[in-house]
Amino acid sequence: MKLQDVAIVGVGVTPQVKRSEKNSLQVALDAAKLALADAGLSHTDLDGIAARWPGPGGTELAPGSADWSTMLGVPLSWIGDSYPQGIPALVDAAGAILTGQATTILITGGQAGVLGGGKVASYTRPGNEFVAPFGAFTAAHFALVAQRHLARFPHARQGMAEIAATIRNVGSTNPDAVMYGRGPYTAEDVLAAPPVVDPFTLLDLCLASEGGAAVVVTTLERARDLRHPPVVLLGAGMEWLRQQYVDPARYEEVWSIGAKAARKAFGQAGLGPSDVDVAQLYDVNSLEVARQFEALGFCGEGEGTDFALATGIGPDGKLPTCTDGGLLSFSHIGWGAPTLKLVEAVHQVRGTAGARQIPGAEVALAAGAGSAAQYYNLALLGRAR
Amino acid sequence: MTLSAEAEALTGEFWAAAARHELVRPVCRDCGRNFFTPQIACPQCLSENWSYERSSGRGRVYSATVVHKAATPDVPVPFRLGIVDLDEGWSMLTTFVDGPGGRLPAIGAPVEVTWVEQDGRTVPAFREIVP
Repeated sequence: MKLQDVAIVGVGVTPQVKRSEKNSLQVALDAAKLALADAGLSHTDLDGIAARWPGPGGTELAPGSADWSTMLGVPLSWIGDSYPQGIPALVDAAGAILTGQATTILITGGQAGVLGGGKVASYTRPGNEFVAPFGAFTAAHFALVAQRHLARFPHARQGMAEIAATIRNVGSTNPDAVMYGRGPYTAEDVLAAPPVVDPFTLLDLCLASEGGAAVVVTTLERARDLRHPPVVLLGAGMEWLRQQYVDPARYEEVWSIGAKAARKAFGQAGLGPSDVDVAQLYDVNSLEVARQFEALGFCGEGEGTDFALATGIGPDGKLPTCTDGGLLSFSHIGWGAPTLKLVEAVHQVRGTAGARQIPGAEVALAAGAGSAAQYYNLALLGRAR
Repeated sequence: MTLSAEAEALTGEFWAAAARHELVRPVCRDCGRNFFTPQIACPQCLSENWSYERSSGRGRVYSATVVHKAATPDVPVPFRLGIVDLDEGWSMLTTFVDGPGGRLPAIGAPVEVTWVEQDGRTVPAFREIVP
């Protein structure tokens, strides 16, 4: 077997909301059931899981994916506590399948019942003694990267606003998006929104919402007997520079993070950036979208916003990007958010995206993390050949 | 903030120096590398033979921003957040206080350490040096 013999056969997303009445385990379970039903499989078909364990219940010694074996009631031959989920979990699952450790693996996660009180999510503001006293949080770390970029390329500010408006307008027409019905927005609206941390306004920045997301991964051989056209893993790559949000990110180090991972992924796939039909980039903020176009090889340094504007990243553009409305407007569910990128990529490739389907989407890019996070990962998904 | 015993052993000296208004950073005795945040081993040569040395407290702004909405409601806004590159070749996350007109210092502006009392602890901040 080779990498391209690993397929995603089921996807599931629970209702995405600002604040859920459920807890994180419940939404992960809900998403898992949806993904299994989508695949036409039962939980008894699973022999592997990458889901972590948010509790309650389970062991207090080392809560993790092993705790799911009790709930699922089936013997497992592989578990993986991938960090975060999304692409790293998919790569881990592929490794397990290719080494014969498992055949059918569930990846599920999300967050619920954890936000509120006017605070940003706790994972975005580590309690580290050299971070917390200065009041830093995720968007602020990204802002410190952005300030250096804008000092070099000040024209990018307008393009950032155009990118944010474009992606948010996709979400505003997606009934499943947290921000459905909000908007449409213009670039001027983005620039005039309340400032959060310079250069970002509220509309430049992603959401913090609640819900679950899951995918089911198996062999291409098994996938061919299931409900949907198999979506195979064409290539993937990951980079880990440093633990996130502790030592501040150096612009010169992190601006191109993802370039090596992209070369690996495109090399495995035998494809290049121009072959990508839809790009589920990790849009934690408007500038990160432009940065990924640069780092992943779609354009040169400092050209990301111009590339986005010239190419067209909306549904009618040449490179539809964040086709569900992205983290900016669809949802951001913490460690489960990267799985949302896989789910949308799968829908587009197999043609089940409904009203937001991009005609002819055969190759999808899905990504996770970003510059100030100091790690990055991406996967290329496509139809089985 | 309460530190674990392990964190206290690693960084207690930094905070004790801060209480005396002295900025210190780890310097590797084997390879001479300055590094921050403190780690049990030098990130250049992995030697555990390092010690805290006093910094001049002077450096330049690497990046700076204004936070208008804080991560928790109890933090007064706006405030100025940034990264300073110290003259000895290390850098740290910090806040900017005082300075001419209370403005955000530009990238590359010279700054020096100053001290703020916060939650029962003396914490380093930086202010722009007026030439």
